Amino acid sequence: MGKDTKKVSGTIDGRETSVPRGSILLRAALDLGIGVPTLCHHPGLPPDGNCRLCSAETGGRLVASCLYPLRDDGFVVQTRSPLVVEARRFVLGLLLSRAPADGYLLGLAGEYGAKADPRLADGADGCVRCGRCLRACRAAGSEAIALVGRGWGRKVAGPFYEPPIDCVGCLACAQACPTGAIAFSEEPRSIWGRDFGLARCGSCGAILGTPGELARSGVEVTLCPSCRRREYSRAVASLPPAQS
Amino acid sequence: MRLSDPIELEALRAVLAQGPAPVRRLWVCGGPGCLAAGAGRVQEALQAAAGEMGLAASVEYRTDLTGCLGLCERGPLVGVEPEGFLYGRVGPGDAMELVAETLLAGRLVGRLAADPDLPAGSDQPFYRPQTRLVMRRFGRVRPDSLEDYLASGGYAALGLALAGLSPGEVSRRVEESGLRGRGGGGFPAGRKWASCREAKGPAKYVVANGDEGDPGAFMNRSLMEGDPFSIIEGLTLGAYAIGAGKGFIYVRHEYPLSVERLGLAIGEAVSRGLLGPDILGSGFSLDLETVEGGGAFVCGESTSLMASIEGREGQPRVKYVRSTEKGLWDCPTLLQNVETWANVPPIVERGPDWFRSLGSDRNPGTKVFSLVGQVRRSGLVEMPLGSPIRAIVKDVGGGARPGRRLKAVQTGGPSGGCLPDGALDLPLDFDSLTAAGAIMGSGGLIVMDDLSCMVDVARYFTGFLMGESCGKCAPCREGLVLIHRILDGLCRGHGRRGDAAELSRLADMLSRTALCGLGQSAANPLLSTLRHFGEEYREHEEEGFCRSGRCQGLFQPLIDPEACTGCGASQKVCPAGAVRGAGKKPREVDAAGCVSCGACLQACRFGAAKAVPRPGRG
Ligand SMILES: Cc1cc2nc3c(=O)[nH]c(=O)nc-3n(C[C@H](O)[C@H](O)[C@H](O)COP(=O)(O)O)c2cc1C
Ligand code: SF4
Ligand code: FES
Repeated sequence: MGKDTKKVSGTIDGRETSVPRGSILLRAALDLGIGVPTLCHHPGLPPDGNCRLCSAETGGRLVASCLYPLRDDGFVVQTRSPLVVEARRFVLGLLLSRAPADGYLLGLAGEYGAKADPRLADGADGCVRCGRCLRACRAAGSEAIALVGRGWGRKVAGPFYEPPIDCVGCLACAQACPTGAIAFSEEPRSIWGRDFGLARCGSCGAILGTPGELARSGVEVTLCPSCRRREYSRAVASLPPAQS
Repeated sequence: MRLSDPIELEALRAVLAQGPAPVRRLWVCGGPGCLAAGAGRVQEALQAAAGEMGLAASVEYRTDLTGCLGLCERGPLVGVEPEGFLYGRVGPGDAMELVAETLLAGRLVGRLAADPDLPAGSDQPFYRPQTRLVMRRFGRVRPDSLEDYLASGGYAALGLALAGLSPGEVSRRVEESGLRGRGGGGFPAGRKWASCREAKGPAKYVVANGDEGDPGAFMNRSLMEGDPFSIIEGLTLGAYAIGAGKGFIYVRHEYPLSVERLGLAIGEAVSRGLLGPDILGSGFSLDLETVEGGGAFVCGESTSLMASIEGREGQPRVKYVRSTEKGLWDCPTLLQNVETWANVPPIVERGPDWFRSLGSDRNPGTKVFSLVGQVRRSGLVEMPLGSPIRAIVKDVGGGARPGRRLKAVQTGGPSGGCLPDGALDLPLDFDSLTAAGAIMGSGGLIVMDDLSCMVDVARYFTGFLMGESCGKCAPCREGLVLIHRILDGLCRGHGRRGDAAELSRLADMLSRTALCGLGQSAANPLLSTLRHFGEEYREHEEEGFCRSGRCQGLFQPLIDPEACTGCGASQKVCPAGAVRGAGKKPREVDAAGCVSCGACLQACRFGAAKAVPRPGRG
């Protein structure tokens, strides 16, 4: 969806705005200072539009603002209409039934009057299936995990539900998870049922990452960034003075 | 031999059309229902019998497999040309007699007539109200024969187009015909064609959707197996109109015969110069291939289908740009259902006015339906759009079975809706069905009688869709489970006050927030039953009563002594031995022994057994 140079104008919650054609609604709203709750969206990752929490109303229907492109002049968008509020209450109830203890969701649930339905209590495993973890994994350069299975039984796992062989233990997935549903340990390093060794800075001993993570980055590193800087300045300082 | 221009095609068509016509032909139905019932063996036996009589290579007396003859429930069917007899439930053992009596002598074998009173197929009430356009070659040609296709008017449209119609003119004919998509939504095909023609891209594609994921549906399958060339010719015309050079026919992999027939037909068409490079010497080329789908219901949805063709996981994508602009590999793509494509050749050949003379104003043409359920005659039916539902349910189908009352007609497949018997006068068209809370879908029609519980029906379809939900978006993944659990509770007598109201809120929200068409339409069974059969929900919720005698434990059978003929059928089927009585005297149900399973209700052909509330409930 390439933006082009043409601008389109319209209103979001009654406020006039003019944006490059094809701009994403969420961005345009945030630029106006209009807050829109999101969950599956992460600014650094490709959008997926699966949680529907960011729903907004335009032309009588709901759209996912994290993906909706503003393409036509005269757009009229409501991010807080009664329909939007009801939709968010509905979606929050469902998401909450998966992650009933999540602080962020509980906060929103309070705001929107949403409750988890006890009839879905058996699904509460903390994971909202937003797929941010796998998108983060991909963005970091691996494809260790996926959402496997379908419908209600869909869950994040490695191939054949085994500890994922392609995982390098970088923890990108856990950092991207909005509900903290991925169990991991930073030191000693373990995640997804696998343990990883840790490479350390040759000078200060700080964690550089797992060997697999370093190999994936393709550059050889033996020092942590601050030691590297120090080494570098020392090397510069010890150079013979430049001839003038 | 390759045909090098439209003139050669015309000449060949003329030769074929005037070729030696057989004196008589037995057409063995090769539709999915009859094949499953053993039509293949019947055809082999007929061939063997013909061989024994020295007719093996005969041109005058032939027996061949053809497309679906329609009255599937009476299969295996055999049609007779030119007499028009229709035989039903034919077995291999009948072959000798059929060859000797009918094939050679042209005499009716009365005991095999599908309807003994009306032996000629076209006279039967099942066929009379129908208009066969898409199915016009079924029972008339061998589906795998390009020659038969040509002899029966096939490729006339492509010949005409390449001899002198501009791509714009071909598109204009489809636009003005008012043809609407037959795959479910009824979106005007012409609008897609026009938008695709105007769209710019490094390449363009045409795609036929033959995924047909609705459980029990076989309309598209019958078409792909019964007249594969009509789909291919349609796609070729579409590609010519929009300027596409590549096309795909997406077929679910459970349909191996469809894949095979289409593949062979593509090969034949290419070898004749009717497909592939430089079609009929025009310089226009189309490379067409079949793609086997994964078999998930959601793969029939356009964005999943395209992802699947591109080799990615068949999962819906949020799309706010139409595929006619950005479809396959982000190029303009014209996707239509296989039946939509099959309508294109006659429209291009005979013109939009002719097409508009069929069907109704905003819904021109015909539609193929699969008529099944609690109805006397079932099978594959093609009706002009806009016919009243009554015409298909009562006239074609013969109405409810003896002793039963028609309760509902479910249209549109699993995400369709249930209409009450009061809706029988509604015209069967895209807009009327949608307004009434049902949909046309791909043309499934299930007739339900008074023993079908509407809450249970909603539970059944919701359960199917819940199992098919891809699980990508929260509303469909979680919401369908919640809805299903509430419905299940109602059917088991665990309903809670407020369930129906809660269901209606959940259904509304699911429809509005789901990511793709599956979730957006998944609440239709629930919404339509709530709307038209709200009383049944109230009874389940407040009284724990199922008036249809379907939800076990939520009713008790009562046999009306006035209506009971004492036939004893209920007594035979009762697993608890709770039906009492003997001889020709009316039977009685012993409430204490009854397990409330409803077997007696199902068994009674006189409508004497009724479901009443259990004492002490409610
Ligand atoms: C869940 C789902 C399943 C679908 N399955 C089919 C199918 O099996 N066959 C089909 O032609 N269209 C199916 N559709 C509709 C397609 O997305 C698309 O609209 C259609 O193929 C377009 O062709 P038409 O305009 O000729 O009908 C499905 C849609 C949804 C949402
Ligand atoms: S609506 Fe259902 S099938 Fe469609 S994307 Fe959402 S979960 Fe998948
Ligand atoms: S944040 Fe937009 S759908 Fe999840």
